[in-house]
Amino acid sequence: MAQAVAHLDNGASQERNPQMMFWGLRLSVIIYLSVMILMPILVISVQGLRDGWDIFWVSISRPVAWNAIWLSVWTAGIMAIINIVMGTTTAYVLVRYRFWGKGILNSLIDLPFAIPTLVTGVMLTLLYGPQTPLGSFLDDELGIKVIYSQTGIILALLFLGYPFVIRSVQPVMAKLDIAQQEASHTLGASQFTTFRRVILPALLPAMITGGLLSFARALGEFGSIVIISGNIPMRTQTAAVYVYAQVEGDKMASASGVSLVILSIALFTTLGVNFWYKRNRRVNRERT
Amino acid sequence: MRKWFIVFSILLLAVSSVAQAQENTVTLTLAGFAVPREAYGEIIPLFQAYWLEETGQTVIFEESYLASGAQSRAVIGGFEADIVALSLEDHVTRIATAGLITRDWQDNANNGTVSASVAVLLVRASNPEGVTDWADVVGRGLDVITPNPATSGAAQWNVMAAYGAAYRGFVDGYSADAEGALQFITALYTDVLVLDADGRESFLTFERGIGDVAITYENEYYAGVNAGNGDQYEVIYPTSTILIENPIAVVDVYAEKHGVLEVADAFVAFTYTPQAQAIFARNGFRPAYERVLTPSEVEGEPDILTLVPTVELDEERFPPIEDLFVIDTFGGWVEVVPTFFGEEGIFTRMIEEVKG
Amino acid sequence: MKERNLSFGGILLLAIVLIYAGVLLLAPVLALVSNTFQNGFEPFWNAITDGEALGTLWLSIRLAVLASTFNAILGVMVAWVLVRHTFWGKGFLNALVDLPLVISPVIVGYVMIVLFGRLGWLKDFPIKLAFSWEGMLVLTVFVSLPFVIREIQPVLSGMGKEQEEAAFTLGATPWGTFWRVVFPAIRHALTYGIVLTLARSLGEFGAVAVIGGGTQGSTESATIYIYRSLNDRNYAGAYSMALLLGIISVVILIIMNNLRIHKRGG
Repeated sequence: MAQAVAHLDNGASQERNPQMMFWGLRLSVIIYLSVMILMPILVISVQGLRDGWDIFWVSISRPVAWNAIWLSVWTAGIMAIINIVMGTTTAYVLVRYRFWGKGILNSLIDLPFAIPTLVTGVMLTLLYGPQTPLGSFLDDELGIKVIYSQTGIILALLFLGYPFVIRSVQPVMAKLDIAQQEASHTLGASQFTTFRRVILPALLPAMITGGLLSFARALGEFGSIVIISGNIPMRTQTAAVYVYAQVEGDKMASASGVSLVILSIALFTTLGVNFWYKRNRRVNRERT
Repeated sequence: MRKWFIVFSILLLAVSSVAQAQENTVTLTLAGFAVPREAYGEIIPLFQAYWLEETGQTVIFEESYLASGAQSRAVIGGFEADIVALSLEDHVTRIATAGLITRDWQDNANNGTVSASVAVLLVRASNPEGVTDWADVVGRGLDVITPNPATSGAAQWNVMAAYGAAYRGFVDGYSADAEGALQFITALYTDVLVLDADGRESFLTFERGIGDVAITYENEYYAGVNAGNGDQYEVIYPTSTILIENPIAVVDVYAEKHGVLEVADAFVAFTYTPQAQAIFARNGFRPAYERVLTPSEVEGEPDILTLVPTVELDEERFPPIEDLFVIDTFGGWVEVVPTFFGEEGIFTRMIEEVKG
Repeated sequence: MKERNLSFGGILLLAIVLIYAGVLLLAPVLALVSNTFQNGFEPFWNAITDGEALGTLWLSIRLAVLASTFNAILGVMVAWVLVRHTFWGKGFLNALVDLPLVISPVIVGYVMIVLFGRLGWLKDFPIKLAFSWEGMLVLTVFVSLPFVIREIQPVLSGMGKEQEEAAFTLGATPWGTFWRVVFPAIRHALTYGIVLTLARSLGEFGAVAVIGGGTQGSTESATIYIYRSLNDRNYAGAYSMALLLGIISVVILIIMNNLRIHKRGG
């Protein structure tokens, strides 16, 4: 039976002609993905490199441009790290414990997926703006400027990225083999050691997947950042906002150049995600 | 069978031509910059009524108000606006260079300028920081609000206003030359807190309580007053500032394509009428100014340029400026844009160093 | 991991999480709500029943529904091919599916103009895609592309080919196999993916804002309307629409959550 099944896989022995259909399907899918996804990459690459590598290099190494790229990268990075910690903790609480309001918390987490980025920016300004009680308190008493600062950027990114780690880790945590934990307990390990040696390694791929995904998502964020960051070049102007300004000013070389860099970073990150995801699944299959 | 077909076609033709005659509606797309939205909001219904009476044709308007630079780029990129009303001449020139305006749009009484304003300083009510002129804005740790020159035409006017005032020697502590002017705008932009995408957003940021002083347009101040917020801030007129001239033009390539060239021209002409200009005035805009050259009394000296409003101004509402200058002082936008705002522009390089 | 009741350590963790989630997520929402209703319910009601506002909402909903339909159908096809087939470059293409999730909307808008603008590479494309409703649809499809695909893939690969092949040997047509074997299995994941797509499409702002040229009343989505209202000083209108979009999102969220319970259990 197994051999007959394997035979069918190639669509070889058919009176019903699915082979043609499969090929048609495969072709249409490849064409669709190529057009939808490869096109933008192609366009940016061509535009960015049209005047040659040296012009490309000059336009991205200009201090404003380079600064914007770096700002995007490090704010997204810090956010990802905080997110991995808090996201895993949140997932842990959701999976491990029963408590009143658990359903509400679980729904709340998806909020950032659903809210338009513009609205996020508006909400944050309404809450932390310098003219609000909270905003002026934070500024006067603690010297923390939320809006129009790098802190604000990280805050907005944390909002956006929250669901990524949680939703990545939750299913893995839920499936964790209880037996191994019990074994570790009976052998005398503390809860913390159990967490560190048994649970954490199993979760690590999922945590990293979620973290990387939130990082890549944050790199390209525009709608909320443009409202709350102040957009000061060299200070609070992220790469996405910089590209926007360049496009509006008709400076296509630097717009494309910076876009290409950010796109490449995001691409590498998603490739990384893919890699960890595969490892994640393999690790979990070994456990179940 | 064929007979029926012919009869049916004729009927269809007849019906459609009757329908065509009934359906005497045209659509005009207006692409404006951020700031005059209220003014056009009032002018448009007036024009619609006027045109309906004159020609029996109903005009539907589709309006879009965005930062001037963004709007210009959108039009060049394919946004088929029939009329553009932008913040500065260069943004219209760009559209003309792209081949979308084939006529000499400045060939009229006002050189294509439909409205004007002046760059002013805006402070909180009762002027707590005691700002009286440009020099008071810098070096005191005040937070300055002004839009982003990369996207906003208004912002570029603001830069040139500050630069020009210093260049012409009206800012204490800065030499009346290119070096002094550069030092002044460097000092100014060091203190900028937020760079919004366009003039309107910048004003609203200040209105929301952010910053100590804003560099903005006079008409934005009046728009704020009209919205009932006049008691929250005070306008300070600098001794020297630039005359902001806003162009309007018909994008004839698109207008022809849509078959609305005549209506579009009529609308632009309408904006110059006393009716429309009164609406602009009510919204805080000045009318176009004429450039009057009088020969200098001193031999060898260049002619003196005086700027005269084409319509008499209510001096309380639109106070005369001691030293009012125009972009011509620096060679017009055609020179200023690359020199100041190009990739290696004076301003572009300055902001990199200042904030770096 | 089995669920258990709160221990002392659990309460501590829960407190930390609740404070974090509360400050990060809930507080801004509450700020919006309080600002919207600061003058009572009436301004909110007037704002959301305003003709222009409703028009933009309708446009956004239409775009979201159309994009979701398209992505649902194509998403299933793509997921199928990516899971069941092998071909050169498949891994690469698979990784690329995440791209719309992470690409900046500014770049998306910019690419649209480069391709379909007046001087674009494809400027003579039969349908006008720059600055038009149709273009907005293409954009929306693009940004919400990955959701259905990524939801279905694990289900498809988890269930293995055996059932499909069994159906084949028993004489089912490919179409029949799909409907009787595959579809019931992926149904929940598919619905969840569609819901995510809907939510994402409703909230699209960046790319459309960048392209610009948004004319009031015709190519204005609900999010652009919010942006425009803020600039018009129509704060009641802006906050009300923002809240409305938020409410719609919350409803979608609740559906999402109920489906997730099904998905894990079912």
